[in-house]
Amino acid sequence: MEQSFPALSPDQAPALRALPESFAEATSEPLSSVEALPLTLPEPEDARHDFARLAAGLGFAAVYGLALGARAGGMSLVRHSLAASAGLGAVALLGVPSLFVLLALANVPVSPGAMLAMAARASSSAGFVLAGLAPSAALLAVTVQSAEATASIASAGLALAGAIGMYQMLRTVRPLVSTLPFQLRLKSYALLSAFGVFAVLLAARVWSALPILQGGR
Amino acid sequence: MNNEVFEALDELLRSPRAVAERTRSGGDLRPLFVASLSALSLGAGVFGATLATSRGGLQLLYSGLKLPLALIATLLLVVPAFHAISAGLGRRLSFSGMVGLTLAAAGRGALVLVALSPLVWLSFDRGLSYAPGVLLATACYALAGLAALGLVLRGIGFDARGFVIVTLFGAVVLVTGGQTAWMFRPFLGRPGAASVPFFRGRQGSFLDAIQGSAAATLGGNRPAPDVNSSELRSGDDSR
Repeated sequence: MEQSFPALSPDQAPALRALPESFAEATSEPLSSVEALPLTLPEPEDARHDFARLAAGLGFAAVYGLALGARAGGMSLVRHSLAASAGLGAVALLGVPSLFVLLALANVPVSPGAMLAMAARASSSAGFVLAGLAPSAALLAVTVQSAEATASIASAGLALAGAIGMYQMLRTVRPLVSTLPFQLRLKSYALLSAFGVFAVLLAARVWSALPILQGGR
Repeated sequence: MNNEVFEALDELLRSPRAVAERTRSGGDLRPLFVASLSALSLGAGVFGATLATSRGGLQLLYSGLKLPLALIATLLLVVPAFHAISAGLGRRLSFSGMVGLTLAAAGRGALVLVALSPLVWLSFDRGLSYAPGVLLATACYALAGLAALGLVLRGIGFDARGFVIVTLFGAVVLVTGGQTAWMFRPFLGRPGAASVPFFRGRQGSFLDAIQGSAAATLGGNRPAPDVNSSELRSGDDSR
């Protein structure tokens, strides 16, 4: 049974293919001339595809939330599914636009479409991992009596998914950044690292609202 | 079909590389499924019954049924996680290939358990008590698990990324499988009990037991949940 989940390999992402040769040649010019360059990263052919992917990622994350909410049942199912999705959603909706602005200020040639594609890919990967972990999480949430142990399991799942999401994001961005001049590359990596830290803190803050992580049900 | 099943069974034992290649190639996986499921059912059944020789009677039947069930239930729960983790880290197999690989790995592990069953039986027959018996069983599971994960590693790719994927998957299997097996207790049974329950009532959990044991080992006074020291000494256990 082939799954229909979108491809995760960056080689297959139309929005994030390698920069055209003309850009690579142009970027060998001094840094000041880069300011005059157009945004050369190709726009996605269809932004709806990326929005659908982003929504799929949030939906997958909600499945993990449902699994955690099964510990108490009832409204806890809704609360956990919303909070699990909100972690990814917050990073995609709050963090990525900020990253775009900062990268643009640093003259890194990125387009909003490319950033959307990157966010969609990262969140769909993280959500897909959360959905994959959901059956195990449901078993453990329902049967493990210790609240601390259950919270640890839930946190481990979220951390794993978040790490894989970040990995996918960096994997997607690397072909773009590696062709930039040295100074721009340095700035890009610095901004991406800062974004990584921010994304971890933001997701952790939102996910800390999960009742199961607060020792509750 | 029968010949193909026996060939697949032979490959499970002798040629994990061929099994891995078969799951990647996307061909007809039915012989591998049948061979793996048979190996899993028979192998885990024999090992479960062997564990129950310390109690005997109806426990032999129950443990022989429950260990394969616990393994199959674990597989059902962890295959989606394996698929998601490997896809997330850039190693995609078809879902059927992924199911075939995990089933084959579990079958191979079960064959290792069969091979170790005589040793376990002899140990219990020579009067091995509960605590060393648990350690022996744990060592057998560890060996079987290594054999199974070795096959998974070959299937997913024998490199650093494959190693990371298998390590993460192994952690998921350890926690999920441990808890599933915990819910299917008892496997050894109480020698002195008048009746043999198919399942025990809910009492603690696998992780609680680890937490308690770790606390006790590190010098805390908290005993491991569901572990009664007098039972351990007398071998009057329920696992």
